[in-house]
Amino acid sequence: MTASGLPTRMLSSIPASPGLVASVQRLLSYIDDLPIGATGALHFGDQGVILLESRKICWAVARSMRIRLTDILRNQSTPPLPRERVEQIYRRCKESGTPIGEALVASGLATEAGLRAALFKHNGEAIVALAQSGMGPDRFVDHVKTGYDPKFSFTSCEVLAMLGSFDDMARAAAAQLELGGMLVQDSVGAAFARNSSASGALVIAVSAGCNFATADLIGVCNWVSSLFDIARTFDPEVFVARANWGGSVGLVTWRLKDVGYLGLCSSRAAAARLLSRLSERAGRPSGVLLRGERGDEPA
Amino acid sequence: MTQPQLESLVASMRTGAVLHSGEDQALPEQLTELAATLPEIFGAVEIGCLERIASKLGAEPGSDMFAEVLLLSESRVHVIHPLSNRADEALLASAPASRSIGLLLSQVHARAAELAEAEE
Repeated sequence: MTASGLPTRMLSSIPASPGLVASVQRLLSYIDDLPIGATGALHFGDQGVILLESRKICWAVARSMRIRLTDILRNQSTPPLPRERVEQIYRRCKESGTPIGEALVASGLATEAGLRAALFKHNGEAIVALAQSGMGPDRFVDHVKTGYDPKFSFTSCEVLAMLGSFDDMARAAAAQLELGGMLVQDSVGAAFARNSSASGALVIAVSAGCNFATADLIGVCNWVSSLFDIARTFDPEVFVARANWGGSVGLVTWRLKDVGYLGLCSSRAAAARLLSRLSERAGRPSGVLLRGERGDEPA
Repeated sequence: MTQPQLESLVASMRTGAVLHSGEDQALPEQLTELAATLPEIFGAVEIGCLERIASKLGAEPGSDMFAEVLLLSESRVHVIHPLSNRADEALLASAPASRSIGLLLSQVHARAAELAEAEE
């Protein structure tokens, strides 16, 4: 869950059941399969709609939702924001066509981080509700521009991780911290667990910038998970693995307690730095920064 | 710096069978076990996933798939180095973890180059 730091009262009560995880994955895969740059409204019959800008989720709403963004925002504060003030801004936004959340930030009633967290929760709940409705997307209407601020939009990977985080919020928060503490420049990452709610890896956290097709991310998580299992059949002490592929790309994977981590690096130098960081933490001597992997000579 | 105590062999990534090892050496047990896992390790890869992810990370299209897989354990470093000129074959190497990984990889690359030359 990239929108980390959610106050406890913002946690969802959505259960990450096997059927629900699969339904959400199908929905997110549909978004991933849209053309690059797809901007518009993805309709789910009369059940709801998801607004996208360059395939990132800006807004989602479902008919069966019970929470409203303004309620989430109001309840972020102690005491809650006065309903009259929020509704006054809401009325102004309705007249001017300005997004309510951004107007609340402009008014000082909400912070950017608070708005992002609230939107993350709202959109996540809507997507889950749409997935539960059983109604698949029936049309996509192109828009020239949605006018949403990119700061307040979400990748399908982030939504996937949010759903996975519900399985164990404390574990997901710890995984988010681990990713933040270990990933290096030019790398993005994900954390995953194995759970009965998913047939394979259950993605529970992603780093900022992790923007892959959800099926691809899950595919790689499944592979590194099996890589560890297999490696430990002949050497039970294996604690980190690195794979270089695609010319310059590197992948580093490690496990901590029952959580698997994946760092995807756009250069071999970044993969070497990540490997070095993990090795040092494990108390291994230095020398892991490999010859030819400083980015200036072939490995 | 002393040379790492390198154990190596060539194995089939498709069957896991050991195809070639050092001169008259007994087969290193752990490497033989690593060889046996190759079909499972590489059979489980969804190449399409990795290609699309590599592309998003900026890799050039058509680049070689795996250059190397490195496994670090408390006591050993294991390397799986697919041989570019021999389809479905990989050079496997292992050395104590206390040794320089850079030096180990240099030896692996040199050994792979020797094998490539022998092939020509």
